[in-house]
Formats: sequence, structure tokens, C-alpha cells
Amino acid sequence: MSLIPIASLSQGTYIDENALQPAQVNTYWNWQDVHRADQYLYHLEGLRDRNSTSEERAQFIRNELANLGLRAATQNYTFTASSGLLSGVNAYAIMASPRTPSSEAMVISATWRSEVGKEPYNLRGISIVLALAAFLKNYSLWAKDIIFVIGDGYLDGMQAWLNAYHGTIPPNLETSLLEYTSGVIWTALNIDYSGHSFSHLGVFFEGLNGRLPNQDLINSVRLISHYTGGVPFIVYDHLEPNDFPDRWQTTSILANAPDFIRQSPQLQDFEYRAKNIVRHINYQARGKPSGAHGLYHKFRIDAITLFAVPATGPHGFLALGRIVESALRTTNNLLERLHASFFFYLFTSPGTFMKIGKFLPSAVLVSAAMMISGLGDWVNAGWLHEAVTENDREEAAAGGPSSKIQGKKMVRWRMRRRPLLRPIFTVLGTHVMGLLAFNLMRSPIFVENHLAASLLLFGALTILPFVFASLPDRTPEVAPFSLLLKSFNLCLASIVISTTSLLNFSLAAILAITLAVPLMYSSCSRSSPPRIVSLAKYVTYSFLAWGWLFLRDEVKQAIWNWEVLGIWFAPFICIVYGPLVTQAGVVSLQP
Amino acid sequence: MRWGTIFFALCLSASSESVTSYTNNVPPGESGERYDEDLFIRPLLDGRVATTFTFTTDLLGNVSRQSESSGQHYTLFPLTLGQILREYSIAELHLTLNSGKWNYDHWGYPDDPSVGTGAELWAWMADGPSSTIDERWTGLRNALAGLFCASLGSLDTRHTSSPSTVFPISFSSSIPHGLRYANLPSENVCTENLTPFVKLLPCKSRAGLATLLNPQRIFDADWHGLSIHLRSTEVGTELKLGVQAVFDPVRLSGGRRRDWSFRLLFDRIIHDSCLVATSSVVRVQIPDSGSHTLSPASVVDDNLTAMYNLMTQAPLDVSMSWPHEHTFQYPHVHESRLTPLSIQRTLHGSSQIHGHLFIALTNNGHHDIVVGYFENLPALVTLWMHTMEIKVDGTERNELISNVSYRPHQVLANGQKSPSTFQAILTVPASSTLHLSMEISRAFLKYTEHPPDAMRGWDLPPAILFPVCEPAMGICGMQNTSAGMRDRMYTPTLLIDLPTPDFSMPYNVIIFSCTLITLIFGSIFNLLTRTWVIVRVED
Repeated sequence: MSLIPIASLSQGTYIDENALQPAQVNTYWNWQDVHRADQYLYHLEGLRDRNSTSEERAQFIRNELANLGLRAATQNYTFTASSGLLSGVNAYAIMASPRTPSSEAMVISATWRSEVGKEPYNLRGISIVLALAAFLKNYSLWAKDIIFVIGDGYLDGMQAWLNAYHGTIPPNLETSLLEYTSGVIWTALNIDYSGHSFSHLGVFFEGLNGRLPNQDLINSVRLISHYTGGVPFIVYDHLEPNDFPDRWQTTSILANAPDFIRQSPQLQDFEYRAKNIVRHINYQARGKPSGAHGLYHKFRIDAITLFAVPATGPHGFLALGRIVESALRTTNNLLERLHASFFFYLFTSPGTFMKIGKFLPSAVLVSAAMMISGLGDWVNAGWLHEAVTENDREEAAAGGPSSKIQGKKMVRWRMRRRPLLRPIFTVLGTHVMGLLAFNLMRSPIFVENHLAASLLLFGALTILPFVFASLPDRTPEVAPFSLLLKSFNLCLASIVISTTSLLNFSLAAILAITLAVPLMYSSCSRSSPPRIVSLAKYVTYSFLAWGWLFLRDEVKQAIWNWEVLGIWFAPFICIVYGPLVTQAGVVSLQP
Repeated sequence: MRWGTIFFALCLSASSESVTSYTNNVPPGESGERYDEDLFIRPLLDGRVATTFTFTTDLLGNVSRQSESSGQHYTLFPLTLGQILREYSIAELHLTLNSGKWNYDHWGYPDDPSVGTGAELWAWMADGPSSTIDERWTGLRNALAGLFCASLGSLDTRHTSSPSTVFPISFSSSIPHGLRYANLPSENVCTENLTPFVKLLPCKSRAGLATLLNPQRIFDADWHGLSIHLRSTEVGTELKLGVQAVFDPVRLSGGRRRDWSFRLLFDRIIHDSCLVATSSVVRVQIPDSGSHTLSPASVVDDNLTAMYNLMTQAPLDVSMSWPHEHTFQYPHVHESRLTPLSIQRTLHGSSQIHGHLFIALTNNGHHDIVVGYFENLPALVTLWMHTMEIKVDGTERNELISNVSYRPHQVLANGQKSPSTFQAILTVPASSTLHLSMEISRAFLKYTEHPPDAMRGWDLPPAILFPVCEPAMGICGMQNTSAGMRDRMYTPTLLIDLPTPDFSMPYNVIIFSCTLITLIFGSIFNLLTRTWVIVRVED
């Protein structure tokens, strides 16, 4: 796994869809459009300084869009989550493209808040969307409708808008269907420009539950950014080592290393790639979208966020406008949905990526190892290994093929029963326990008294599995419970990891680390350890499984993510990960 | 003798398509044929300009459809259409090729109601002993496809239905007639269709209003369409060739002004009038408000229409400008919608297997509107009637729908599937929105049935809302003013995603290599696990 950032394992990106033709057009975006964006910015700053309500802001944006002759409207929404209500107002407009039946569309969006940069409000992003609306409608070359969306909040507004657009309004969302709609949305660009100026253009692409957009979209925007806008393109807001060598060397984790290590280009490159991958895994494993674009993926819309990396210069509205215009012209060329290129990839640097075939084995190998060792335990559980006495020796030698000579001593393998009921009930019981715990965590009582409730819950989750472990069984004719449980546990975990690796590699990789080690070593020695050691081991396992309950903010965020955005991470941890580690704990408890 | 030569020359010109000039100066109306042309220009509230060209040719007297032997001699009526008319015994024929989405809310009713996106063809044909209606329909489609260079040939049984209440026949006849209707939403209209269209006009595009049909401008318009309407009347046959286009002068001027002129819209002016035309008129609707100037000045009649007679006023370049307006301010059309009904039709859901067809009808007026609703859906989607929900303001109102008829698609003798049709009468309460939703399931196609651009999805044709006659009114009038709906309205088309296999190369490679490995593994496993022993056969 640690080999992934090595440069030679990655390959250069390329455009697979021939229709895209990125950076092949002359752009028309000009200083007068920049001026218009500045004017919008002035008004928006006024709204921000007046602490205006969502309603006022959305009305302002709606009116500005309607003044351009577009079909503009606002959308009120309220999310009901266990942590409270969340409401806001979105504004959107639809530019019906001339000469087309309006059955296809593309989206440019910006959200009111930005969470990547230092500035909390994405005012410049919104201004440029408004200025683009005024600019783009003067051309007849659009083959798809263009939808301009300004989402309130950070993710919630966009989530409400997308659900209303597609008519999939969940029960905890209170909103009405949209007044104006267009056709099927194929691509979307989300603009995050919160700083004053920018030096680089960063791309964020991770979506809900680890979905990724088609790589062609990212690659096209990279080419456009280079050739049309003249702006260096990076992954996230990670500057490349040679962008600012001085700054890199002070922030690098090798900052205190000797000079020859610190200045080694290979190591710098390795660190840069590793940083990108860690960031990627951090987003993807948690299923968290890295921006508002991530919400689109659920509806088969390829979307990315363009993040203007804050700097004192040199780029501004002019470059960004050109890039977005050209990117829209590119996606406008599409005759089909983006389907050619890659949907599974790891971006190690802006120009290089790893194919699924190269990174997937790292997780699958671990899972295969677990499966084999689980099956091995299952086989072991079926056989009793006993030394035969001299008396039996001749009998056995004549008896059958199941006895063999090992050195000078005769060893006999005897079949024994493997009672399945108890391990199965333990497995089911722990998962049901996890499900109950998850439902409990969503109750308002838990949210209000987090510390007490999580202590109680942790206690309950630690003590309850004792029920399964309480009955001792030491008859040699029956396979030990712990061995059977371990075999079940390993096989189950292996299945989980290998299945997840196809859907969400990062999560599978994290699971491979966090599950493989504790599960494999849950009962390592044949000699029974003292009771106190196994108890301590059990408590450690329990902490591994449920210790995160005490991370108040993380838990709250994960629950909110599940309720509002539908991110599977919280239920997955409660119902799959926690129980699996608890099962390993139960195994370790057995003598 | 002189007439004979002219007829001969005309027939020659029409059949061999060599351009014979019409300098013979035929006195209009004398030959039993009459040609009128008309251009109606309507400035719209959102700064756009709707233009409707209508070229009407009346063939007085009966077209002898039965007598195959008698020759067809026309002076003004296009021979190619006449031949089709006779060959397939057509009583009424409507063909439209449109591009764009007609915005009823902002543009109002179109002057020609057939504004559905794509190609739409419907015809009433006599049911004769010589050939069945379906045979005639096949022939008609192919003939028109050849005539207009459009893919009308693909309007086959997969698209054809016979909704006679939606498209009633416009005259009564003793001979039984049959209707065939088909639409093709993905058909685009372009220059290749306009060129043969212009050839049907007596003056081509050399003189008269047709001069303005500049393809570069017409096909740049926000909405444009060609139409052919042929219907039998009491006195003979009427052929209406129409071109509609909605221009956006604001876009042409870089987002500033809404002034328009022939020069700006069409990049041409009219130099000569068409001499064979009986009348050639340009009508301009005057907006009720605003300080506009119209040039050349003209008398405005009661209907707020300015008239120009091309016969006397050529050369002509009509222009309208708003001199006191620096930049055009878009009105807030949000409040005032021009049609009594606003239509929204979308597909809901994110799954590739199921979904919901959702129609929202908003009644902008203060009276209930009774309206017919017609869907002609290809067999790609199946509607589930039991899931139909009709809601007004969130409460279920099942009494608002009546006369529901649904014909699911059927497998025909040729293996193709006929479209499914859904027809119902809806009552939209005053000043409220009616939501109609139905669950649909999407077909799983055979891999050979996918088009080359499989990932695009499939276009679903527009649904049609048509005026219905209430039982109290007795006979259905064309103008159903009391119910509020004047004419047919078309909903937007939809793009539907079907479950599509990945046709790309890597997946094919994976599939093939998996198959190979399975085969190899199977045989090797067999070899390894089987013990080979020699069995002696005892005698």
C-alpha cells in the first residue's frame, strides 16, 4: 500500500472521449464581463456586511438572474436532522439554449459558504456565476441548457436543490418541487472562489460514498486551465514542491532531515504524491464529498469543484471566466454522457493517476489473506490433534490413512463436531447490537447529553458481548467456540473488504489495516493467557470498536451526514466495523 | 395552345427540377389555382420576435384522386405533393419539422399550433380497396422522407398510433378515412430540409416573402420550424407551407437592444414581389405599450396590426425600434403568463430501471380548464396505471381525471413493438397546479437494439394537450374559448436513460478474458482431478 505514491506506478492522464476537444476554442469572456462580476461582488459584499438573511440573498440573486431574461426562481428548504432543523433558500435560473429541445443540461453552481479556504463566504464564486449567466446567454452555440444554481449553506442547499430537481425528496426534507426544470443534467461545475485572487486552480472531485466523476472531465479542465487560462492546475489545494520550493521545504515532514534528503527530488515527489493520496483517502473512506460537486454524483452527473487557491495574485475573474467558458464549451460538445475514461482512479498528481488494476490488489491481497486464514481456522476447528499412546499405535497404523508418523511420535487427527449455532448467534447478535446502537445515537437524548450517553452506550456495548462469551466449552469432542468464531469473523471481514474495495477503495484500504491486524491476532497463542490479560485485550478491542463514541464532533458530523446527505459511513461503522472488532474481542476473551 | 405550352413547361420544370423562370406572368387566379403569401411578425414581451411565414396555395376544384390515367397539370400547386396526394389518397396531411422548445409562458400560442419538437406527421387517408391504410402510410412516409430529406422513413410501426380524437379530420366525407400519427423527437431540421421546401414555392426564394428565408439566419433562431399542412376543403385542396421562427434581437445585438428589422433578422430585404401571388402581405403586430417607431410608417388597424402590401411596396425592409430605450429591460414575465396553462413534464428518480413520469399543469386563469392529455410513448417505457396519482396542492383529487384510456405496447407481426398510448381528460382547477405522476419502468433492450450513441439516452416525444368539447357544447368547435384552451399545446420532450451495457473496449476485454479463463480453468481442473485408468474390457 505504501508503494502507491511511487511515481513510476502512475501513468499520465489522457482524454478518452474524442468529442470533448478541450481548449480548442477561442473564448470571448472579456474585461467588460469581469467588470460585471465586480459589480455583482460589490452588491454581494453589501449583503454579507448587512448580515442579510438567506431569503434576502436568494431574492437578490433571483432578481439579478431574472433581469437577464432567464427563468429564475428561489427554493425554500428545511432539513430535519437529529441535531436540529436546518433551513435556507436557494436561487437558480435556467437558460434555455436556443434551437434545442432542452432535454440535456449542464450546471454551473456555487454555494454561499466555502470550507476549504480561509474566507467563509464564496462571494467571488457567486459573482462569477452571475456574470457568466449574463455573458453566456448572448451566444447561440449552446447545445444544452445551462442551469445556474446558487446553493445556500455549504452542502445542504445543493442537496435540497438536487433532490427537488430529480423529484426524490426524502421524508426529512421539506421543500417543494422546482418551478422550472430542464432536461437531464450531464455535467456540472462547482466554483469555489473565496479568496481575493488566486495563483493556482485546484480540483476537488470526491463525491458521496466514495463516488468519483469521470476522469475525462478533470483532464479536460486541466488542459483548459493550462492552455486557455494560463493557470497552473493542481489537485486539491496542494501546491507542487517546485511551485514554492522554500515554502515546501518548511512545511514538509522532512523539514528537519539532513539536506541531501530534504532536497532529493524523488523524496519530495513521493511526499507530494503521498499527501494527495492521504487527502483523497481521508475524503473517500469517510464517504464525505470534498465539495458541493460531490452531491451530484448520486444522480449520474459528473461534477467537480474548481477551487481558486487563494493567493495575492496573479489571476482573477478574467482567467477563471475564460476557463469556465471554455470548459462549458467542451462539455457542450458531448453527444453522449461521459462514459469512456475512468471512474476508478487515484490522482497522484494533476497529470498522473493510477488505474484501478494497480491499486486494487493492495486491499484485495489483505482480504484474500484473511479469507485463507479464516478458512484455515475452519479446517483446524474440524480436526482434533492428539498424540496417540503406544497401545493404540499398531491399531492406528493398521487403521487408516488418517494417522501418520511425525518424527518418532505418532499423531492422530480426529474429526470433531463444529457446533455452528453459537458463533452464528454471536455474529448476528453483535451486528444487531450495532444497529441498535446506531439508532440510539440518532435519538435526541443522545445528542443532548453526549458524554454521559456515550459512556453508557460504550459500557453496554462492552459488557453485552460477555453473554456470548460466558459459557465455557472445553470438551475435546467439540470444536472450541473461539476458533469457530474467529473463522467466521475473518471470513466475514474478508468479504466486506473485498466487496468494498470495488465500491470505495479508500474505505477498503482503511478497513484492511484496521480490521486485519486486530482480527488476525485476536487469539494468537494456544496456551491460555491469564484471565486479566485476556480481559485487558478485550477492553482494548472494545476501544478499537467503539472508542470513537467519545469523539463528540465527529459523531455528530457523521450522523448529520447520514441523515441529510445519506452518507453510509456512520451506519457502516456501527453495523459492520464495530461488531466485527467486537467479535474479535469475544474471541480474545475465550481461554 | 399557349396554356398547353405553359403547362408542359411547368410540368417539365417541376419533374426534372430544372429551374424554369416564371416570367410568363400568369394572371393569378385564372388557372383554378391561387397563391397567397403572408408574413406575420409579432414582437414578444421578452424582446424576441416571432415570425410566421405562410404560403398558401389553393387548388380550386376537385383533385381527381381516382382517375389514375388523367394527367396532373398544375401551375402553382407543387406537382411532387400532388402526386403524393393522389398516390396515397390523402385527405389531410400535416408534416412539421421543428427545432427548439416553444416557450408558451413567454411567447403565447404559436400562430401555427404544431410546435412539437422534432418531426411530427399525421395524415387522414382514405381506406380504399386497392391498398390498406397501413400500406399507404408506409408509402407516404417514404415519399415524404425522400421529398424533404428527413428521416421520416423511420417513423415506422414503433412510433405510429391513431389518436383520432386528438387530431380530428377537418371535413366530413362519405368515404371512410383512417388516421395515422407518428412523431420523432430526435429529428433535427436544417438547411437540407429547407432547400426542398423552398422548391415547392412557385417563386422559390427569388422573389416575394420567401426571399427572407435565409438559412443562416432561420436556423440560428431560438426556435424554428417548417410545416406542411394539406387539407381538403369544400372548394378543393388547400396547401399551407409555413415557416415559423422566433428570433432574439437582444442576443444579436450583444444583450442590449430589441430593435429589429428585416436586415437584422434575415440579413436580407425583399426586393421584388412574387408576381404569381394573388396577395403578398407583411403584417406586424404592434405592441400595446412602449414608445416604438415603425418604419416604413403604416396604418394600424383595430387589431393593432400594421399591414404592408408587397405588391405595391417592394422593395421593403420593415424595422421597429425603441429609440428611447438604452438597454432592453426584461419584464418580469413571471407574473403574467400568456397562455392559460403552463406545462411542466419531467422524469423523476435517479434509478435506471424505475422512475416517475411527472406532469404539472398550472392554470393561470380564474376558470377551471378541461383539457385532453395524450401521450404516445415508444415501447421503451411502460406506464403503470395503478400508480397514477393526481394531486392538487398536495391532496389527492382523483375526480379530476376522466375518460382514461391506456393502450400498452404490443408486439406486432413484424416483431416490432407498437407504442403505448395514454389518453385522458383532466380538469385543472382555477389558479392552481395539478400534479399527475405515474410510475414507469424502463425497458431492458437487447444489445443489438441500442443505437451507436447508446450512452446518450432516448428521446421521448412530447405529450399533447388538446382542447376537448364538453358534452354540453355538443359539437366540438375549433375555438373552445369557454374552456380557456384555444389549441393544441405540446410539452417538452424528455431524454430517458435506459439500462445500458458498457460498450467500451476494456469491459469487452474483461468479459472475453473471463470467458477464456473459465474455459481453460474448467478443462485443466477436469484434467487434474480426474484419474485416468485403463479399463479392461472383458470378453
